[in-house]
Amino acid sequence: MIWLAGLAILAGVLVSLSRQINGRLALSTSATESSLWNHVVGLTFLSFAALLFGGLFAGQPQAAPWWAFLGGPVGMVFIAAGSWLISRLGAAQTAILIIAGQMISGVALDIMTGTPGNLWAQVTGVALILLGIKSGQGRKS
Amino acid sequence: MSDMPPPRFYHFAAAVAAGGLITLMVQFNGILAIYGSLLFASWIPHLTGTCAALIMLAVLRPRRAAMARPPIWTYLGGVSGAFTVMLTSFTVNTALALSGTIALGLVGQMIFSLFADMRGLFGLPKRLPGRQEYKSLALIIAGSMILIFFGRGA
Repeated sequence: MIWLAGLAILAGVLVSLSRQINGRLALSTSATESSLWNHVVGLTFLSFAALLFGGLFAGQPQAAPWWAFLGGPVGMVFIAAGSWLISRLGAAQTAILIIAGQMISGVALDIMTGTPGNLWAQVTGVALILLGIKSGQGRKS
Repeated sequence: MSDMPPPRFYHFAAAVAAGGLITLMVQFNGILAIYGSLLFASWIPHLTGTCAALIMLAVLRPRRAAMARPPIWTYLGGVSGAFTVMLTSFTVNTALALSGTIALGLVGQMIFSLFADMRGLFGLPKRLPGRQEYKSLALIIAGSMILIFFGRGA
């Protein structure tokens, strides 16, 4: 269990590491170009993994709806945004605000799709997050 | 204290909106994973994302921020990202489940981000978070943990 927890924590560290490296590249190039390289290098890496392990086209991928393929362009904008923001907000604030947005939009999506949820937890969680966003903005440098 | 000019409101708004993009992306990629393999559900977004970035570069033609070539390691952010996908798709299927994976990932992100800010790692501006920012971080983490562990279950 401990080593599993370690792996999950490491995944979080790698998210931050990736954003810092991309952010540094954006300082020399542009946020979009940084996002391009992130995707090209990731694609190359995953292609090697596919050649090594096989099974890339297992299942019925051709049956997936066409709009499910739009995760790529959405992710491309996301990586570009992160690369642009990290040198302006800092790594910690960029990370926490993205998490805040992810959490709030997750609750909104659950409500829209009628996913059962605990209303009190949702209200308390979202209220604390909004309060956190508000108090972070009050920072004087 | 800090080599960074104070952030503006639109930076905050953009970061929160970017978080909304992840929710959308996770939905799309999750549907790919229902029909195809986990590898496919990560490989395809990297492929379509590459195409989208090429189109955006061709249309917007952003100016390069600096003439000097960036160090070669700055091109390797995607490797770290690809490893993340492999790690998380493993841990969600263990006792940690999705909630444990997200919660611990959040902890890892925050610890390493704060450390990076204080040291100014990887050539990014150095900054020391103030009390107000720690308060903000604590509030958002607390709210997130409540949502992760109690938000879905009735």
